Amino acid sequence: MPSAPPAALAGLRVLDLSGPMGNYCGKLFADLGADVILVEPPSGTRLRFEPPFLEDTPGLERSLAFAYHNTSKRGISLNLDTVTGQELLRRLVAGTDVIIETEKPGVMRRRALNYEALARVRPGLVYTSITPFGQTGPYAQYESSDLIALALGGLLYLGGYPDTAPVRVYGNQAYLCASMYGAVAAMLAVLDAESSGSGQHVDVSMQECVVLGLENAVQFYDLEGIVRKRYAGEQRWAGTGVFKCADGHIYLMAGGIGANKFWGRSVGWLRDENMPGAERLLGEEWTRVEYLRSDEAKRIFAELFVPWVRTKTKAYLYREGQRRHIPIAPINAPADLLENRQLKFRKYFVEVMHPLRDTPMLMPGAPYKLSETPWRIQRPAPRLGEHNAEVYREIGISGGELARLFSAGVV
Amino acid sequence: MSGLPLQGIRIADFSWLGAGSYATKILADMGADVIKIESSTRLDSLRMGAPYKDGKPGVNRSGYFADRNTSKRSVTIDMKHPRALGLIRKLIEQSDIVANNFTPGVMEKFGLGYPQVSAMKPDIIYLAMSMQGAEGPERDYLGYGSSIVSLTALQHLTGMPGREPAGTGTNYPDHIPNPCHAAFALLAALRYRRRTGRGQYIDLAQLEPTIALLGPTLLDLTVNGRNHECNGNQHDWAAPHGVYPCVGDDRWIAIAAMDDMQWAALVEVLGSPAWAAEARWNGAVARRRDCEELDQLLGRETVRWGAEKLMAALQARGVPAGVVQNTEDVIKHDPQLAHRGHWIRLNHAEMGEALYNAPPFRFSRTPVELRAPAPLLGEHTREVCVGLLGISETEVDELIAQGVLK
Repeated sequence: MPSAPPAALAGLRVLDLSGPMGNYCGKLFADLGADVILVEPPSGTRLRFEPPFLEDTPGLERSLAFAYHNTSKRGISLNLDTVTGQELLRRLVAGTDVIIETEKPGVMRRRALNYEALARVRPGLVYTSITPFGQTGPYAQYESSDLIALALGGLLYLGGYPDTAPVRVYGNQAYLCASMYGAVAAMLAVLDAESSGSGQHVDVSMQECVVLGLENAVQFYDLEGIVRKRYAGEQRWAGTGVFKCADGHIYLMAGGIGANKFWGRSVGWLRDENMPGAERLLGEEWTRVEYLRSDEAKRIFAELFVPWVRTKTKAYLYREGQRRHIPIAPINAPADLLENRQLKFRKYFVEVMHPLRDTPMLMPGAPYKLSETPWRIQRPAPRLGEHNAEVYREIGISGGELARLFSAGVV
Repeated sequence: MSGLPLQGIRIADFSWLGAGSYATKILADMGADVIKIESSTRLDSLRMGAPYKDGKPGVNRSGYFADRNTSKRSVTIDMKHPRALGLIRKLIEQSDIVANNFTPGVMEKFGLGYPQVSAMKPDIIYLAMSMQGAEGPERDYLGYGSSIVSLTALQHLTGMPGREPAGTGTNYPDHIPNPCHAAFALLAALRYRRRTGRGQYIDLAQLEPTIALLGPTLLDLTVNGRNHECNGNQHDWAAPHGVYPCVGDDRWIAIAAMDDMQWAALVEVLGSPAWAAEARWNGAVARRRDCEELDQLLGRETVRWGAEKLMAALQARGVPAGVVQNTEDVIKHDPQLAHRGHWIRLNHAEMGEALYNAPPFRFSRTPVELRAPAPLLGEHTREVCVGLLGISETEVDELIAQGVLK
């Protein structure tokens, strides 16, 4: 059998004690080859109760959200609210490089599993706490959720239509931002620990992560005193925005961002297409970003472009625009992604087995291709307690002792 | 500054605009010597991206650019000049990472494809982050963060039913998904190189990390055959879950009542209005079924409250609630971000004192700071040429006169 290619994170042991705010962080480590052990309470981790479910039927082994966010991990069950469970975790920590946890600040201290306690067991430990607001401060004990973090982080205010309430970005992005930055921060600390021998506590705030998604809104306020607002349904600049076409919508950025470098190409295309009135977009004023921001420019562009673009398909506009190197994109539905020829060429979607299915599931694959140490799903997400026997054996717990721990509700 | 995790790591940074510059910025703030290779003949468009100091455009005045390029050094080299490649080679020989986010072919035109670069520095880590990836039928297609929001279905999935797809209102993938995935891949590759001495090529297609964030939605499609559509601010199973008006112009509060206890507490805080006592609102399933009507009824209550006061009252009862903060709120009024020291003011050579984001994490031992404001265009050209590339001052003058270093 050919040996598997080397993994960038081989030999790195991670304990993922987290939930929806941190499981994607653990997945990033696991799919690059770290030995990530998902540590769940005996009743199952939070994501096991989150939809979508296999055939829409809830069940401990049926959450597709769980199945996606926990690929490549081993899984054990452990009750961290028991003294024995806490002792077992400390024994596991002795051979661990990274912890990912998402408890409310103070919970891990009450369990005597806080950073200071565990660093005594393992000085090189990188202890990653991902929380809604960070470990300390006036909101540290506030209740949160994806929506609340988007609100307090300022991104929610930028989303949606001027005439309705702000609309949040889809898909638990605040949780995912926290996970992504958690992974980057933890990995920085790992590199540091592997050279210095000293780990540290990494304190990630989901709210702060969301603030980093405010684009240039912070600087607009600081430098020009402007509070940026939401603008869905409107052109942001002339030629930049969502337009309805024959079979859906497209997103056009006729001028690009910053310098107006694409405008000439865009108008050249529309003239080639014999769009009625295209020559009205040719004057010197259209080369100026300030003019594109004006209501007049937006109105003229809409008068000409809106009737024309309604007669064309997404695929046609995408192909013809991109052939001329114009930043135009179709507004894809999820099903369109499965048919996308570029993603197909790159073999982006991958097949992963599921314990309750005979055939594999298709899910998003490598977010990056590393030539020497390829991204790889090591195994499907673990069944609850699937690796109890092998993991506990690794810290010297025999089958008989494990059975006792099981009946005591510890594992 | 000593003791930063990436001290001693050097990045020859050809990245520009959003995602690429932000990825290398994360590493620059953490100690890497990131040398941004620019040219006045082919300006990083973000240098001309609003807003500007005092509203006046200029290559050194963009706040958008500044926030994405902290802690870096800038050198200007006209890559089209025949002498440019020799200088770049000297830089690459002393670099650990070469990064770019051009469409495929641009680096190759410079003579800096991966094979050429790895011949100059065999253990180089080479990050290419084009929109569509290095190979494939649409590899030459280009776009911005907003294009990626559209292509990945995030735009389609975000908005109100029956309205135009809304998207995030930003170039979201540029700001977090792509920089974080790129930085994580680079750090993993650095670890591998440290252990084996081997570099590698990283091909990050900017479409792909954002699609990776939609895994559960795509599995619902591939496994259950369900096509998701946008649903405003609704939650999969909890209600009420939305954004409600408060006192003032465009003031809103987000409330997420995740269970019956939080619903009961919400009702009490709002003064137990009679409608809320009706049996039809018992249980999340019932509330979720009629959530549009519920949202309207709730809005009539919340609109009598100041958003901050209602948030405090709800949080005191354990109900997840948050003011929908605008940029002024997050900068000037949010006590938690202030407590975290999120806002950093740095003195920029042309912009003067300006506001920057801190990284969103803190370490117990390593300081998390910004090492320097964004560089002026070409600010460090001479310093890098003389101090790093070993070029004499007079030769630098010649290179400037010949138009190589512009």
